[in-house]
Amino acid sequence: MTEQPNDPKLQRPPAERRYADELAKLAADDTAPRPPGWALSLQAARTFIVGDAKLGIARKFVGDPSLIDRALVTLATNRGLMLVGEPGTAKSLLSELIAAAVSGDSTLTIQGGASTTEDQIAYSWNYSLLVSEGPTERALVPAPLLRGMAEGRVVRFEEITRCPLEVQDALLSPLSDRVLAVPELEGGDNMVFAIDGFNIIATANTRDRGVNEMSAALKRRFNFETVFPIADFKTELDLVETESAAALERSGVPVPPARDVLEVLVRVFRDLRSAEGADGKMQSVMSTAEAVSVAHAVGIKGWYLRGGEAAAGDIVDSLAGAAAKDSAEDLARLRRYLEQKAAKRSGPHWKDLYEARHLLPG
Amino acid sequence: MAPLHVVGVRHHSPACARLVSETIAALRPAHVLIEGPADFNGRLDELALDHTLPIAIYSYLGEKEGSHRSWSPLCDYSPEWIALTEGRASGAAVKFIDLPAWHGAFAQIENRYSDAERRYTEATDRLCREFAVDNPDALWDHLVEVAESDGLAERLDHYFALVRGEAETTENDTEREDYMAQWIRAALAEDDGPVLVICGGFHAPALRRLAAAAGSAAWPEIPAAPEGADIGSFLVPYSFKRLDAFAGYQSGMPSPEYYQRLWDDGAERAAAALVELVAARLRRRKQVVSTADLIGAKSLTEGLARLRGHGRPGRTDVLDGLASALINDDLPQPLPWTRRGTLTRGTHPVVVEMTAALAGERTGRLHPDTPAPPLVASVQDILEQLDLDGENRLTLHLSDARDLERSRALHCLRLLDIPGFKRDSGPTAGSDVIAEEQWELRVDTNRLPAVIEAGVYGANLGDAAQTVLEQRVSDAGGDLNAQAGLLFSAALCGRARLTDRLAREIAFAIGECDDLAAVGRTLAVALALFRHDDLFGSAGSDLYATVIETCAEHALWLAESLRAGPGPAEPGRINALAALRDTLRFTPTLVPPREGIAATASRVAADPAAPPDLRGAAAGLAWTLGRPVAAIEAGPDRLGDWLAGLFVVAREEVLAEEGEASVVNAVDGVVGEMTATEFLEALPALRQAFGFFPPRERALLAEQLTALRETGTEGRDLVRRTEVDPVMVASAMELEARVDAVMEREHLGDKR
Repeated sequence: MTEQPNDPKLQRPPAERRYADELAKLAADDTAPRPPGWALSLQAARTFIVGDAKLGIARKFVGDPSLIDRALVTLATNRGLMLVGEPGTAKSLLSELIAAAVSGDSTLTIQGGASTTEDQIAYSWNYSLLVSEGPTERALVPAPLLRGMAEGRVVRFEEITRCPLEVQDALLSPLSDRVLAVPELEGGDNMVFAIDGFNIIATANTRDRGVNEMSAALKRRFNFETVFPIADFKTELDLVETESAAALERSGVPVPPARDVLEVLVRVFRDLRSAEGADGKMQSVMSTAEAVSVAHAVGIKGWYLRGGEAAAGDIVDSLAGAAAKDSAEDLARLRRYLEQKAAKRSGPHWKDLYEARHLLPG
Repeated sequence: MAPLHVVGVRHHSPACARLVSETIAALRPAHVLIEGPADFNGRLDELALDHTLPIAIYSYLGEKEGSHRSWSPLCDYSPEWIALTEGRASGAAVKFIDLPAWHGAFAQIENRYSDAERRYTEATDRLCREFAVDNPDALWDHLVEVAESDGLAERLDHYFALVRGEAETTENDTEREDYMAQWIRAALAEDDGPVLVICGGFHAPALRRLAAAAGSAAWPEIPAAPEGADIGSFLVPYSFKRLDAFAGYQSGMPSPEYYQRLWDDGAERAAAALVELVAARLRRRKQVVSTADLIGAKSLTEGLARLRGHGRPGRTDVLDGLASALINDDLPQPLPWTRRGTLTRGTHPVVVEMTAALAGERTGRLHPDTPAPPLVASVQDILEQLDLDGENRLTLHLSDARDLERSRALHCLRLLDIPGFKRDSGPTAGSDVIAEEQWELRVDTNRLPAVIEAGVYGANLGDAAQTVLEQRVSDAGGDLNAQAGLLFSAALCGRARLTDRLAREIAFAIGECDDLAAVGRTLAVALALFRHDDLFGSAGSDLYATVIETCAEHALWLAESLRAGPGPAEPGRINALAALRDTLRFTPTLVPPREGIAATASRVAADPAAPPDLRGAAAGLAWTLGRPVAAIEAGPDRLGDWLAGLFVVAREEVLAEEGEASVVNAVDGVVGEMTATEFLEALPALRQAFGFFPPRERALLAEQLTALRETGTEGRDLVRRTEVDPVMVASAMELEARVDAVMEREHLGDKR
């Protein structure tokens, strides 16, 4: 998932604008020492992310607070931060929040992909100027990495493992020597030294190529933090409830699905995510984000087709499409789950779910 | 009235231990009353011997319907231990004031000092949120262990008042508190000296209130044990491994080695030692831990401590720093110190080493003057009573009550590795039950030392065997063959009862196993023992019920995901489905709904990716559940294996069928249409499949076929063994085929 600024599809301003008031308030009251180049102290940055009801700061990330501690200290000690985890565990959101807290700016973002080149990471040229003036600073078009180094800000590198290995290795000298060479420029301008406040937050997804293929040299320059699905049932349920209610409201549905239906939904996701043994575990992503989208679908169906009442049976339908996307084995796992595990649970919604097992295709 | 001073503590907390020590020094109490088993008061001198800690007071209650075991572990930094030793040294009258471990109030509790973990509430969750820490252990470190010691007592009181205010108080809590309050009132009334009470923080607010209330001021009685029960308490060595919350079930604080060092050397040196321990451990395992990594870990730890407002680095600061610096991978499981409870499967190996380093390997040792564990006397008694103490060769008939008792005792001894007891023959798991055992008994000089050592496991032979059994089950992990053996041992020892610990371990082991045949075997063993083992007295045992339940569910799960091409039929997996069929038939309450199983079986039967023998077996299973066979697997390389599966599972259905539509007739049709080569290809597997039926049933099938074809031949003749060598028959058939071919080539005869 990308959080590119001004992305028309996402229609969301970056974190530093969404939470401008909170950041201003924290900065004003911040008395603790700030690491060089940081917009906030470590304590204030942490409060920004984990929230503090007394100060009126919202909780923005529901994972373990110690993860935030480790991430911030890592950035302050000048090692890169690598956030890894299953898709849908809010890695990108976390990197955005950290960048907003540390640099006051989360927009220096490189989106990794198979076609990412060094141009998009470090710098490229304005070719008409290059032809007319030669390689001058005016002709240089800085990319996020160069800007981050020159301005002393945090650079976000999303989905780093999806880039070719040689492109990934472009980060080696900026991370270890804190310098980027621009050999085309002449004179003293051809070395850009990072100023205080520069660092890199990379995210990687364990479902893609994984971090195992990264070069050992690059791995050594990052501290790894694994982001896990939400551990606490109630926290996850609350999150699914608020997020799906918001999504439903945007779709013109004024009421969220009943909490007991959502309870069944979240329980199903958690069971499938943590199933015992390798063959019980779903290949498809069973993230909280996926649960929200299933809850959204169930809510829409309930409102428009069932006259308001969301039904647990609809979960099966949506799951078959949304979660067990195109893996026949996942479909089999889901079916087994419904037949063997769901059948044993008591309560009308579980019964409903069990009865709906016939809706699975095949 | 004398002044009362109640210090509420967390068990195994060095900061609380220090507080207790300071309080005793400042208060000079006349009485020190400690939350601990009051029945042990007469033997406090034993505790005062020069033991190497950790040790535990082990208490047991043996009744007809089972036994209850419980430990009260003590280590150097236990507040209770400090209260005991320093209270005695200061001349105070020291007493334990809690109910005995065998009292009903402790029915579900194995570790008296583990209760902190049962007391977490909304209040602690809220505090965790407020202080932005992961869990109550980290909260505790933050508020108590690494915090400044100024105002600790008030902070603790405040904390526990909050926990008490919101936690649920059970009847058991009330009963224990009323009892403890009686002791306090008696101490207060006895003389004018100050009374110091050391108890779990959860009880402190209640005890203050109850002590002030009106009530009898006489020293309370020790409650009587349940009628006919065998009770007792004695000291045993304990270990840090069992104290560690990451490793154990109902254990106390996590990371005992760390807290030991915190107690001995203070926070800074404990942190440094911890890093050293972890590095040494990892290097021993050939993991690269560079100096740069260690420097990185140190600066991270310092940064974390500062960010979290710790004046000195705490446990999680060190662990977090090490994890960040040493792990260059994604973690398969969350860091264990961010959650609570035991380590989860798949935890990163570096993290496993780290937690193991923090748990430490210290084990306690009792002073030689400590009385011998009661197991020694118990074993001696049993050997004499059952006449097993000499050199002897024994033949035991298990149907005889006394012989069964002797056999059980011998099996328990064998399980405890007591030398001199050898079984030459007898029933084994998975075979038909033999009711006779041969034993060879020998007198061995190592017997007494072995029994003394085994005294750790329990007070009498049965309890000790039970403990060992649980440990072995835990060690066997996903190896179901070993587990099936242990389940059978449980029956042999007469200990086929479900304990909380066993249930968890067994369910875990079965979930781990991905071999359908092994799960099926375990299911069959458990089902047999559950259904009709009156010989061992294991019929209807809840232990086996749990095993059956878990195995049945898991077998279905595995059957549906099994993928393989044609190949020789594997009796293991076919038998697994047969075991499922039996389970459904005899213990329908222990399996998933019939309908669900039938649906699964039909799906497996229709799944072209499943191996033919399993598909046949699944078709058979569906058939026994009322879904007749839909289609026959006709390929010559599959038919035989498919039938092998079908026949084993649906034997009765196959034999009961008659008429045109029967499976046997359909098979006959399929075979009739095969070419000679195809038939030869299919023959070995077909032969094997039909070989499952005994001759009489084979004749019955043949009878059906001849009746349908009206050929006039007797079915019996078809299955009669001919005296001719099959090789000769084959060469005759080959010759005939050659003649046919030649005749056809020369247009000399009808085409066959």
